[in-house]
Amino acid sequence: MPSRTTTAIGRLSLLGAASVVAVSGACRSPEPTRTAERTVTIYVSTDRVFSEPVLREYERRSGVRVSVAYDTEETKSTGLANRLLAEKNRPQADVFWSNEPVRTLVLKSRDVLASYRSPSAVGIPASLVDPDGYWTGFSARIRVIAYNTKLVTQDEAPRSVFDLADPKWKGQVAIADPRFGSTSFHVAALYVLLGDAKADELFRRLKANEVRFVNSNSTVRDLVVRGEVKVGLTDTDDVNVALENGDPVAMVLPDRDGLGVPVMPNMVSLVADAPHADEGRKLIDYLVSPDVERQLAESAAVQIPLHAGVPGPKNLPAIDSFKPMTLDYSGAASRVEDVTARLASMLGL
Amino acid sequence: MWGRGSSRTLVIGTALAAFVVVCLLPPMYMLVLSVAPAAGRQSAFAALLLDTRQRELLANSALLGAGTAILATIVGVPLGLALARIPLRRKAVLRLALVAPVLLPPYVAGLAWIYLGGSRGLIAAVAGRDLLSDWTYSLPGAVIVLGLALYPLSMLATEVAMRRIDGRLEEAALLVAAPGRTLRRITLPLAAPSILAAALVVFVLAISELGVPGLLRVRVYTTEVFTAFAALYDFGRATLLALPLLLLSIAAAVVAGALGGERLLASRRGAGVPPLPFEAWRRPAGAAVSLVVAVALLIPLAVLGREALGGPSTRDVLAGSRDAIRNSLVLAATGATAITALAVWIGYARARSRPRVGRSMDVLLVVLFALPSTVVGVGLIGLWNRPGPLGAVYGTNVMILLAYLARLVPVAALALAASVRLIPASQEEAAAVSGAGWLRTMMHIVFPQIRHGLAAAWVVAFILAFGELGATILVAPAGEATLPIRIYTIIANTPSSHVAALALLQTAVILVPLAALGLTLSARENS
Repeated sequence: MPSRTTTAIGRLSLLGAASVVAVSGACRSPEPTRTAERTVTIYVSTDRVFSEPVLREYERRSGVRVSVAYDTEETKSTGLANRLLAEKNRPQADVFWSNEPVRTLVLKSRDVLASYRSPSAVGIPASLVDPDGYWTGFSARIRVIAYNTKLVTQDEAPRSVFDLADPKWKGQVAIADPRFGSTSFHVAALYVLLGDAKADELFRRLKANEVRFVNSNSTVRDLVVRGEVKVGLTDTDDVNVALENGDPVAMVLPDRDGLGVPVMPNMVSLVADAPHADEGRKLIDYLVSPDVERQLAESAAVQIPLHAGVPGPKNLPAIDSFKPMTLDYSGAASRVEDVTARLASMLGL
Repeated sequence: MWGRGSSRTLVIGTALAAFVVVCLLPPMYMLVLSVAPAAGRQSAFAALLLDTRQRELLANSALLGAGTAILATIVGVPLGLALARIPLRRKAVLRLALVAPVLLPPYVAGLAWIYLGGSRGLIAAVAGRDLLSDWTYSLPGAVIVLGLALYPLSMLATEVAMRRIDGRLEEAALLVAAPGRTLRRITLPLAAPSILAAALVVFVLAISELGVPGLLRVRVYTTEVFTAFAALYDFGRATLLALPLLLLSIAAAVVAGALGGERLLASRRGAGVPPLPFEAWRRPAGAAVSLVVAVALLIPLAVLGREALGGPSTRDVLAGSRDAIRNSLVLAATGATAITALAVWIGYARARSRPRVGRSMDVLLVVLFALPSTVVGVGLIGLWNRPGPLGAVYGTNVMILLAYLARLVPVAALALAASVRLIPASQEEAAAVSGAGWLRTMMHIVFPQIRHGLAAAWVVAFILAFGELGATILVAPAGEATLPIRIYTIIANTPSSHVAALALLQTAVILVPLAALGLTLSARENS
C-alpha cells in the first residue's frame, strides 16, 4: 500500500506535469505562427495609456501585428533603454519610441540606433529632427508649473523656475528626482543654457527653500492635487490627468519671457540591425504622421503637434504661440551624467 | 553512509549544476562585464570608494533593513506561535488574513499609508490638522510600512518551526515552569534558527526595496545602483555599486548565524495532536491577531477601496487583464514548483555539508538573493540572447521562469536548508545501516518531515514570483506578459483611483488561489 509520502510525491509529480503542460501554453512564442503574418516589435517608454491606442489603431489599419514592450515610470524599473543596450548584439526590437530626448540620445551614442529619414517628417521643425536621421521628434510635451487652485490664485502662481526659489514658497514646492526622466532632461538643459555657476546657484537656492524632491512627476501632481504642496514642477500630461479628473489644479508655462518654455518631443528611432526593419520604417512613418499627432493631441496625453496645421490640445497653446527653450538636445543629453552626480551631491539625494 | 556512486551524487550533482547555470552564471556574467577592460572602468572602480553621502545612504539602508527585520520579527513570531500552539477558532481563515498583507505590492501599501497619514490624508481630515505626516515621510514610517508588509514571512517561518518542535519538551517544562518561562527557555531557542533565517530574508528584501523609500522620501543606497542603471546606463558601475549592499547582506547573515548557531531540534513525535501548551493565552492571542489584521490588512484595503471608488470608473482599466492574470498565475505556479524542486536539493546539500562549507554556502545564497533584480535581468539577456538554441528560448516566457529561478532559488534553498537541519543526520544514518538507498531515505525519512517547510517555501516562492517586476520586465517577450508588468506600465499617468483598483486586483488575483490551497490543506489536516 503506498505511503502518504509517496502518494503526495505522486500528486506533486502530477501537479508538475500539469504545470508543464499549462506553461507550454503560456510560454507560447510571440513570434508569428504563420510565416505570412507581418509583424513588428516596438519598445515604448511613452506612457502606455497614451501609446497603446495609437499602436492598436496602426495594427487595425495595417494588418501588421504589433508586439509592444511598454515601460514603467522612470523610478519603478530601470527601463527599456537598458534592455535595448543589453540586446544590442542581437536586437529584438525594430523601433524605439521614447517620451523624452535623453534615452534616445544615449542609445544613439552607444550605436544602438540606425539612421532613417521618414518622409512623414516633412513639416516638422528642423531643430526637432536629427540631421543624421537617428531620431525624429513628434508630438511634444511641456514642462509646466502646476499649482493648487484652492491654495494659490492665478496671479500668485510662479511664472519661472527661478520663482520656485522665492522664500514665499518655502516648503511648498515639489519637483521629481532630477536624476530621472523628463526632469533629468530639464535640469541638464538648464545647465547648458545657464552655465554651471548660475545653475548651481539656482539649485542651492531651491534646496535652501526646502523643495521636496519626490520619486516621479505623477507624485508631484498628486502632492499638488492633495494640497500637500502648493506648487510643483511636472509635465503637461501629468497635469492633464488631474484636470480631466476635475481636481483643483492649473498650470503655468514657465519662463515664457526668459529662457523659454522647455519643450520635450517624443522621439522615434529605428533600431540598428532590427529583425523587421522594413516594417519598422513603416511604423515610424505612421508615428510621425500628422494623423498620430492629432490623435495624441486629442487624447488625455494633450501632446502638442509639431506639424503645422494640426489642431492642438484644448488646454494648451499652439507650439508657435510661445517662446520655446532653444537648445541642442545632444548637448543637454551629454550633460546628464555629470549633472546627475553634481545634483546628487548638492541636493543630498 | 552512501558512496560516491550512489543516487545522492547524481541528484545533488545535477541540482548543483542547474543551480550554477540558472543562479550563478547571470551575476558572474555581469561581474566579468564590470571588470572587463573598457573605457571608464577605472572610474567605475573609483565609484566603489564611497563618499560621505553614499556612506550615509548605506547607513540608512542598514537602518531600514534592521528596523524592518526587527519589526517583522516582533509582529510575526508571536503570530506564528499563536497559529502553531494556541487553539484559535477559524485558524485557516485567520492564517490567510495574516498572510494577505505580503500580497499587496509594497509600493501600493506605501501609497495607502500616504492616503491615510499624509498632511492632507484621512487622519488629518478627521482631526482637522496634520498629525502624522512628519512620521509618514520618515525612516520609521518606511520601517512600519515594510515591516507590516513583510511580517508574514517571519510568521510562516515561526509556525513551520514550531510545528517541528517536539511538544513533549514544552509539556515537560510546563510541569515546573510557567508558560512564559517555557516559551523563553524552550520554545523560542529551538525555533531561533528559522526565526533568524526569516529575519535575514526580510532584511535583504527591505534593503533591496526602492519603491517605498522613494515614495516616503527616505534616502537609501539602492538608489545609487538604480541611478547607475536608469540614469547613466552603466552596467559595470551599477554591478560594482551593488557590492556594498551585498556586503551588508553578508554582515546580516553573519550576525544571524552567530545568534542562531547550528542548533538541532529533536524531531516531533509522529502521531497525535500537536501540543498546545499555551492554551491559556487564547484570548490575548485572539485580540493580537485581530489588531494585526486590522492594521496591516483592513485599514490599507479600506483606504485603497475608498480611493478606487472615489475617482472615474475603473472598468476599462481592469478590463483586458485576463491574459496577464492567466500568464501570471501559470508562470508563478510553475516557477514556484520549479524553484522548490531545485531548492530542496540545494538546501539539503547545504544542511548536510561540513560547517565551514555550509557557512560559505549560506553567504553565497544570501548574496545571490540580495542581487539587484536588474543585475539578474541584464545578466540573463547577455547569456541567453544568442544565436542558436539559446536564442530560441530567448523571446519566450521561459525567460520569465529563468528570472524567477535565478532570483528565488537562493532564498528557497536557505529556508529549506533550515528545515533539513532540524532533522538529525542520525536518522539517515540509521536508514543507511538498515540498507535503504538514499532516494528511498529522502522519500520516507526526510521529505515527510519537511513537508510543511516545502509547502511554505512553495507559497513564499509563488508570492514573490507573482510580484516580481525588476528582472521580469527586462526579459519578458514583447506583448502581454505578467500582471505586475501590465499594472506598473498602466499606472503611469492614471488617476490614483485606477492605481488603487489595479493594486486591489493584483492582491485579489493572488489571494484567491492561495486561499483555495490553504483552506484545502487545512481541511485535509483537520480530517
